[in-house]
Amino acid sequence: MHLDPFELHRPSSVEETVALAARLAGAADYLAGGTDLLPNYKMHLNPRPHLIALEGVAELRSHGPERIGAMARLADLESDREFAAMYPGLAEALGHVATPLVRASGTLGGNLLVETRCFFFNQSYLWRQSLGFCLKAAGDRCHVVPQKERCYATFSGDLAPALMVLGAEVEIAGPTGRRRGPIGSLYDGSGDGIRRTHLAPGELLVAVHLPPGARHLRSAYRKLRVRPSFDFPELGIAVALRTEAGRLAALQMAAGGLESHPQAFDALTAPLVGTEPTDARIDALAEAVGRSVRPVHNTFLDPAYRKKMATVYARRALRAARDGTAAGEGS
Amino acid sequence: MPPRPNLRLEINGHPVEVPCPDERILLDLIREDLDLTGSKRGCDLGTCGCCTVLLDGRPTLSCLTLARLAEGRSVTTIEGLTPHGGLHPVQRAFVEHGATQCGFCTPGFVLTAVALLRDEPHPDRERVVRAISGNLCRCTGYTKIIEAVLAASGGA
Repeated sequence: MHLDPFELHRPSSVEETVALAARLAGAADYLAGGTDLLPNYKMHLNPRPHLIALEGVAELRSHGPERIGAMARLADLESDREFAAMYPGLAEALGHVATPLVRASGTLGGNLLVETRCFFFNQSYLWRQSLGFCLKAAGDRCHVVPQKERCYATFSGDLAPALMVLGAEVEIAGPTGRRRGPIGSLYDGSGDGIRRTHLAPGELLVAVHLPPGARHLRSAYRKLRVRPSFDFPELGIAVALRTEAGRLAALQMAAGGLESHPQAFDALTAPLVGTEPTDARIDALAEAVGRSVRPVHNTFLDPAYRKKMATVYARRALRAARDGTAAGEGS
Repeated sequence: MPPRPNLRLEINGHPVEVPCPDERILLDLIREDLDLTGSKRGCDLGTCGCCTVLLDGRPTLSCLTLARLAEGRSVTTIEGLTPHGGLHPVQRAFVEHGATQCGFCTPGFVLTAVALLRDEPHPDRERVVRAISGNLCRCTGYTKIIEAVLAASGGA
């Protein structure tokens, strides 16, 4: 599969990058690791005439325990044992992104901003043409939930929920300067599903910041997928908690792979703070998570099954974080 | 767009200078422009690992790499693994353990294994399985490939 022609730009600083993106507004994509964008370009899924490669922007590449550049390679984060020991849930999520070969090129920023996925979107041009193009690419209707207003493609990154429960913040650069905000605020959960983030045109995700308290949290990530060695999440649940004298002093849960944006469960977890994390309370919370999520039929597994599994995986992730259980696929 | 200068990079230890449009994929450059057909096009979407090359020594999916981003860098394909001919110890282990059937995936597996053993000379079985989990083989069932990599590490 050959790519349609585009002009490749290779800026070397954040300021140069955002100025270029502002000038090319709407006609350019950022290229990070390329493991998501280039397959989509090969399938002629919304290719643009300009690509801005970020690999030469040194500031984006560095990572430390509390600030991770958006272009940090997933494999480098995964192999940083000190980092992994500090944030076990995040390390589990990192180790379950695609394959080692994809992680060798894939980046933190790329995973956070990965294109949403759908059976009717991630198909060849001819396949999509034969059915009629969808709302997300060249068409005007959704084939999953038939209507013309909203796209239901699934958010399929593993790292967003794992970072949300740690209280991470994103650092964003734009033509007028830099701003910071909670990582959850990056995602637009109330829009049309096509516009997926609150990034303004030309804005660039520069880094993720982890608060000092994050390393004192016990965390876990549990992921459901069809092939444990490769696939995008059919669901992924992250938990982080801290106990004091046997009672929960902090509890955060978040999920990806279920709806068109990663979602936090603050309203469900907040009432448990101050209580003992008993099996019964964990089971009740996990049931509530399963009831609250609304997957649609646009990934490999049936949405009713994913909804049931959301409860199962929430329970497993909660118990793993409480008990400090070692990482494991789905276990 | 102004005309681009030729792309310069090192392939298997040799400097190469070739015309290269911005949208050229590294795998296409290697196979079609440089006639190095050892790197295979399998899925062409990063799933199968057949196109694996070493980019500055790091296993890399050449089907998902823009050739222009390899500018000034070093690419090793299966043809360049033993510059003076003969078999690399990993290749010899593949032969001795019957780790190849149709052979299409073999270059990718070998290069992934070479990088693993360079970084971790004595991996255990679980580590080998994990390291090769981005390379797909539709023939062997993996057992012999895992045995070959362990044998090449001196650990089988």
